[in-house]
Amino acid sequence: MKESRKGKKIMIITVGLTCFILMAVMFMQFKIVNQTDITSIETMRKTELTTELASWKQKYEETNSKYEETQNKLNEYKNSQQSTEESEKLLEQELEQINKILGKTDVQGQGIIITLKDITQEQATDVSSIKADDLLIIVNALKLAGAEAISINGERIINSTDIVQIKDSFIRINNRQRVLNPYVIKAIGNQAYLEGGLIGSGGHLDDMKNLGHKITIEKSDNITINKYEGEIEAKYME
Amino acid sequence: MVFIAILVGCILGAILGINAPMISYTYSSYLAIAIIAALDTVFGGIVAVSNKNFDLKIFISGFFSNAVIAILLTVLGQKLNVDIYLAAIVVFVWRILNNIGIIRRYYLNKMSDKYNEIKNNKNKTKVVEK
Repeated sequence: MKESRKGKKIMIITVGLTCFILMAVMFMQFKIVNQTDITSIETMRKTELTTELASWKQKYEETNSKYEETQNKLNEYKNSQQSTEESEKLLEQELEQINKILGKTDVQGQGIIITLKDITQEQATDVSSIKADDLLIIVNALKLAGAEAISINGERIINSTDIVQIKDSFIRINNRQRVLNPYVIKAIGNQAYLEGGLIGSGGHLDDMKNLGHKITIEKSDNITINKYEGEIEAKYME
Repeated sequence: MVFIAILVGCILGAILGINAPMISYTYSSYLAIAIIAALDTVFGGIVAVSNKNFDLKIFISGFFSNAVIAILLTVLGQKLNVDIYLAAIVVFVWRILNNIGIIRRYYLNKMSDKYNEIKNNKNKTKVVEK
């Protein structure tokens, strides 16, 4: 009787203990399952992590290659754009320069203004009037002195300019423009050089002054010389 | 007495389980398989009680060894890259269902026996009254 009671006690205790352990483990498990986010990296197993990593790596590589491709293309476009822009700029600059030299644009700069007044127009003397040759010599001298742009009475002197004496009555410039007294010659260039080429020993203006013509030379820092009004054509050049 | 012990054990176990520190998710699959194995043993014990051949030593040893072996099998399966725990779960669940079936039949028989007894008693009393 005593032994059976003892046995029953042991049985009760062990069964209770078993239930205790079982429930404890079960609730631990419930807690784990409840609280873990299966998709988060911390809870993943090694194999899952490896597959995940591999897939991400592949994705990364794909994206990276795509990115590089796009970057290369972008660089190409940029380069081509830059080169075209640069060449355009260069061409524009060149064009501008050429137009300036040709006389197709209005130009400004420092230089001198020479005014020639023919004395023979005002009073009868035996002095020879100002002729095309005089203007030619002056223009030549100005060119020699480094004039970059010259005009006579507003008519631009360009490469193909002719200065011709028509009988004794007038001077024609550029094959179309009559220039009459007084003659205003504008020249852009180094003021001292330009002046020095015309006056002083052997200067043509001195000679003319000596003849009695009224000559004034004015220095200016801002001379505007108009563009050549006519057409520059080339019929026979190929 | 036994039922009180079971109830107290369950409640205390639940309290401990809720307050226990978190175990890494990696080990939760081992824990799960151990729980299934233990449940199998518990139901086996109930069947043994109803058959009146309950042995405490067999119950205790089965409770722990089943759980430990299930865990070991799961570990082995992971090392071999074979999902052995699935086979273990299938076997344990099959056995649990079997045991539940046996328990159900036992208690149904018991209840029907009692019912018949009551009926017979009533008939007897009626006969006596007559």
